[in-house]
Amino acid sequence: VAPAPSDGLAILSGLKVLDFSETVPSYAGRIFVELGADVVMVEPPGGSRARRQPPLVTIEAGETVSAPFAYTAAGKRSVTIDYTSPGGRRLLERLVRRSDVALLPPDADTVHRRRIDLQTLHSINDRMVVTSVTPFGMTGPRRHWKGSELIAWASSGVMNGIGDPDRPPLAPGGGLADAVSSLNAVMGTLLSLRARQRTQSGQQVDISMQEAILSVSMEAGLLTSLEGQVQRRVGPRWPPGRPAHGVFPAQDGNIEVGAVLQRQWDAMAEWIGDDLGIEEAAMDVFRGSLLNRTQFVDLINTWVTELAGRYTKQTFFIEAQRRGIPSSPINSLAEALEDPHMKAVGGWEDVPLDGSGTVRMPRGPLAFDGVGMSVGSVPRPGEHNYDVLRLEIGLSESEMLVLRSEGAI
Amino acid sequence: VLEIGFGIAAPIACRTLAEFGADVIKVESVRRPDSLRASGAGWMPLDAPWEIRRDTGASLQFTSSDKRSLGLEIDGPEGSQVFRRLVAASDVIVMNMNVEALESLHLTYADLQGVNPRLIHLNMSAFGTAEGPYRTYRTWGANLSALAGITELVGWPDREPTGIPLSFPDYPSGIWGVIAVISALLRRDATGHGCEIDLSQFQVALACIGPAVTEAALGAPPSRTGNRAPAEAPSGVYPTRESDRWVAVSVADDSAWESLCSVEGLESLADDPRFETLAERLANFDELDAVICEWTELRTAWECSVELQRAGVPAHPLFDHWDVLADPQLASRQFFRVLPSTRFGAELTYGQAVVLSETPANFTRAAPAFGEHTRDILKVVGLTEPEIDGLITSGIAHEMPHPGLRLERPYLGWVPHLLRLPWPDSTVDPAQIIFDRMSEQLPSHD
Repeated sequence: VAPAPSDGLAILSGLKVLDFSETVPSYAGRIFVELGADVVMVEPPGGSRARRQPPLVTIEAGETVSAPFAYTAAGKRSVTIDYTSPGGRRLLERLVRRSDVALLPPDADTVHRRRIDLQTLHSINDRMVVTSVTPFGMTGPRRHWKGSELIAWASSGVMNGIGDPDRPPLAPGGGLADAVSSLNAVMGTLLSLRARQRTQSGQQVDISMQEAILSVSMEAGLLTSLEGQVQRRVGPRWPPGRPAHGVFPAQDGNIEVGAVLQRQWDAMAEWIGDDLGIEEAAMDVFRGSLLNRTQFVDLINTWVTELAGRYTKQTFFIEAQRRGIPSSPINSLAEALEDPHMKAVGGWEDVPLDGSGTVRMPRGPLAFDGVGMSVGSVPRPGEHNYDVLRLEIGLSESEMLVLRSEGAI
Repeated sequence: VLEIGFGIAAPIACRTLAEFGADVIKVESVRRPDSLRASGAGWMPLDAPWEIRRDTGASLQFTSSDKRSLGLEIDGPEGSQVFRRLVAASDVIVMNMNVEALESLHLTYADLQGVNPRLIHLNMSAFGTAEGPYRTYRTWGANLSALAGITELVGWPDREPTGIPLSFPDYPSGIWGVIAVISALLRRDATGHGCEIDLSQFQVALACIGPAVTEAALGAPPSRTGNRAPAEAPSGVYPTRESDRWVAVSVADDSAWESLCSVEGLESLADDPRFETLAERLANFDELDAVICEWTELRTAWECSVELQRAGVPAHPLFDHWDVLADPQLASRQFFRVLPSTRFGAELTYGQAVVLSETPANFTRAAPAFGEHTRDILKVVGLTEPEIDGLITSGIAHEMPHPGLRLERPYLGWVPHLLRLPWPDSTVDPAQIIFDRMSEQLPSHD
């Protein structure tokens, strides 16, 4: 399942990750799977509560599937261990001893109650990279504050500029804060693993969701605030007041267009001339930098609106691209699932679920030496107990029986 | 690391590599400049000379600090030859170029692998280089968010989608870029082989909303819900006693609900039959919101947040950027940084969201001026002073123009203080001061 570049080795083959995360940063575990690492998800006997994380979707026979769990757990191996029991604890220590990375849950209380904190893990294996994603980071006056996806956005200043003036500010949806935080977790873990080649020791990776969002939102108002502009909620047109740049209505939905650079505007002006017969669009007064055109924003956007109204969102997209103008339809997720480019490049993977059937998921975005990424299937709770505990750790059949009878596995 | 980067994706990836120890050289052309050099310079008068104006963008501080800049045109034979010497001496090249540009500038892996077989070659284009209908299409981040279904997801259920005011997926593409490069370096450490990495920013966007895409693929596409999260009630943004100041509250499970019911003034929630179970809270969401609003409207955003957090309920004021700059939490973690800059004296940037306990990021200097390190870099690859002079005279290499010119950001006088202080009462027009000062320093022919 792992990507295998030309020399036959998966890019991170041999790397062992223990995933305790349940929610955030469980997507980080999926990324390690995509890179070819062995990711073992440690669940309590009976399965992690993340298996019930909403939204739950009902599939055939009344069975439900957690969409975020299915996506983030795909390709991981599952072992079920009650490591609050003495037998389970000894087992966990053997797993920790052989692993390179631990992904911890976001809640400090849980981490300490389960004794999987940095100090405890390093007392067993000091080469381990121990990665945490928490709402505000592990130091500072609000380190104990509780968080969520919404609170990550609220604490970053980004929401203040999103939404309509007559309603409260809006958070972006789709779990993007979890995703960005998990991506930072993987980046920090890999930087630590490379440093380990030199230092021979592991370390702590401390990701604050507040900082993760701040570090992807430089243009969301920080600089304009510093330069004296007041940030306002302006509704769907972003950036506000930019000529031929933003959302416009086509016949069957909206399109996003960005004729920003000189050559892109020239192409747009030519198109306006060709289709609407407005030759003035090509006049020198509109050329030059975007700032020059900004004073004519209302006039220019009237033209672009009229132009967009002559096309469907798909035909506008194709024609704009033919003319070299950055543009796209504003797709629903259902439309995105039918995207012709994704189909042509094999961008989807049909991932077997732990019960029956498969579900279509987007593949990771990298190809190493032409080989794309894939994950495998969503594991059942404890599906890999035998492989990991019996075959790899080397427990005997009778040890397995005893642990099972104690409820430790 | 060689960077041929524009905007955000490749530059932000290389910034991270630089701050964790790499020597990053930003290779820049006068004809195809990184647009962020000129963007965000809203404080500078429109009639400022373009030669200066085009290199004053404050945005570049957030994407290119701790790098060196080489001004070099690589599309002619001489420049290309110099560039290949650099490739031979490098470990990694990172680019975010359209496939057609990559091919016409002879920068594909096939072009460069022979020069350096250990090279790790990363290009982050909009759609990757695999054959497909959009392969050569040009996009901004917002186009990819729209195409992937992200834009459509953000907004109120009863209105048109609002979308997100971020260059998404540029930033996560940059993070994926670092992930790709470090993974490839780890493997090269073991095998000695370089490799080609092809990144599709469109696929980055889809991967980031993987859970929502999976939900849609299971036959239940999620819709716009404003600030409500699936199966959470209450969840949202509530008004406070202050004008246009809001508090975010997330009650994700029954234990957080019990905590909420223990807050002084909200005890009546516990006995209210409308809110007994999650199903009932979801069914009576608007009525529940009304009860929460009555409580939040009597308090400031901070008062609400502190009281709720004390009870164990996730809550936070909706920050604006002044709150962010003055946030003691961020200050205690030294998130914002003021770094020394040759042209500006000092520059503001943020640090890294990756905090490592033993090998932390190292911040040494602000983003370079265009061509600031051209001469040093060309010497290192073996060019003599007369050869370098020749390249500069013929317009193939570029040095920093007006090396003696010193500018100052209007906000750098007070931002370091703001990192703990409220908005200062300033009555001067900083842009005019800067322009006056600049006019005195510029040579008269400009």
